[in-house]
Amino acid sequence: MSATVLDRLDHLPRRNLTVLALRGISSLVPGGWTNQTSADELIADVLGSDDPELVAQVRSRADALNLSRHEGYRRALSLYDAVNRSQKAAGGLRVLANVAGALPLVKRLATLTPASQTLQAVDLSLKVGAEMLAFTQVNGLPGDSFAAFGASLTEYASEARVRMAALVCFDALLPLGDNALHRLDALLGQVSSHELHQLPSYAGMASLLPGRGDTAHLAFLRRGVDHWLGWADGFVGELGLSGQRAVRALETTLGPWHGGMEQLATFLDAFTDTYAHTGVQAVARRLVERAAAEI
Amino acid sequence: MSRNLRWGIGLLLLAGLILGAFLFLPFRSWLPGGSVGNIPNRALVNGTNFNRLFPSPEAGEQLVFTQEKRGFSQARLKRGSDVVALLSISDVTSSPASRNKFIHSQERLRSWPLVDQGSQASALLVADRFQVKVIGQGNGMDSQQRHALLEAFDVASLAALNPAIAPAIPAGREARAPGREALAPGRAPGLRLPRFNREAPQAKALPNRSRPSLSNRANAVLEPAA
Repeated sequence: MSATVLDRLDHLPRRNLTVLALRGISSLVPGGWTNQTSADELIADVLGSDDPELVAQVRSRADALNLSRHEGYRRALSLYDAVNRSQKAAGGLRVLANVAGALPLVKRLATLTPASQTLQAVDLSLKVGAEMLAFTQVNGLPGDSFAAFGASLTEYASEARVRMAALVCFDALLPLGDNALHRLDALLGQVSSHELHQLPSYAGMASLLPGRGDTAHLAFLRRGVDHWLGWADGFVGELGLSGQRAVRALETTLGPWHGGMEQLATFLDAFTDTYAHTGVQAVARRLVERAAAEI
Repeated sequence: MSRNLRWGIGLLLLAGLILGAFLFLPFRSWLPGGSVGNIPNRALVNGTNFNRLFPSPEAGEQLVFTQEKRGFSQARLKRGSDVVALLSISDVTSSPASRNKFIHSQERLRSWPLVDQGSQASALLVADRFQVKVIGQGNGMDSQQRHALLEAFDVASLAALNPAIAPAIPAGREARAPGREALAPGRAPGLRLPRFNREAPQAKALPNRSRPSLSNRANAVLEPAA
């Protein structure tokens, strides 16, 4: 069996490319971001007390909750992992294509790699879909009314601001340009089920998406993205996000970048785990909040 | 020959049915490890029933529900954009150990046992089954503020959700006890919780009729016990 959420939190990196990229992006988000990598600190923070006995109780309760299939915390993490794996695989392919394109003999290989813009759009929509599914897996359907549920979503989104900023910058603004959010729907309209199957994360998520068959899944993803776009548009406007600003923010932590924005996005996709990293932190927090309430 | 063919088709159909049953029917949920402590989900009160029992926020405050699962519901109390406290109701059926801390508790709130955990958390055990907890966040809350919040929960209606109170009711009406809504249809309230302090609070709970409308049902059940 895989490691528990809290064990994974304890083993998150304190300083690597992922952390640096997230720290760079978080300079654009008010409130910033702390790289929480200690389960005991998180528990003490939620509980407002660092009594070792209480912390141990919360921890064992959290592990019990984490082990249970019906509770969904593990499933949410496996969603984030699937998305992360897919991102790395797709990023790796594109890095390979860039390298291969420069070598005369294998140049033809480069034409085999998938058309990047639509694929990028599908990748983004899968991430948004994964985010929604993970929300319901972790939190259930809180509140008795749509208004209460909406408030709950907004609350979650503001807690996950840095992940959302990373999602918007790394997967939309950098690879697709500043008007990415307005083009997204048109791009998704061109997607065929063949292209959907080229993404490894789709295979992992297909069973969790509502509806049967690729067309139903695509329709769900488009609807999900449609809802998300309304929020994301406001988010981008509020923080004044743009490709240029994202690059500048990343340069403060990663060092100067001389390539294009698209290459930067490819590089980040292939070599960072932003999704799994922030995902573990978000799930761990909600899990600990619940365990602290139940001990 | 045709007889062999019929046998063949029959066996094929049978194999297909069995295979289909294993592939499509949700056998997975029968396997152990699905829920915490392998307590069936039906034995827990659904979190939806808890939502309406949370205190209503005062002016300038906002209550945002964050988690709702079987046997659990949680909300954040926010003042402006700051989280002031985590409020939650949980069914302790799935975490029996959490009851132990109430055994030696002397403090009472609305006649139910009250415990402080650490410097920021206060918990109340209602009807020997539901734990109501307030955890101060951010700048923190003193214990008086937390106890005031605990008092603002609709504790009487919460107690009425517990089917284990049923034995206190005359035999004929037992089956119609409220709180049965917590169980699946057609299921008797079979799971009785161990009750270590039976003389317990429900008798004393009666004088507390300060909440008028919502608690009517609760009192209707409790009355015969007095």
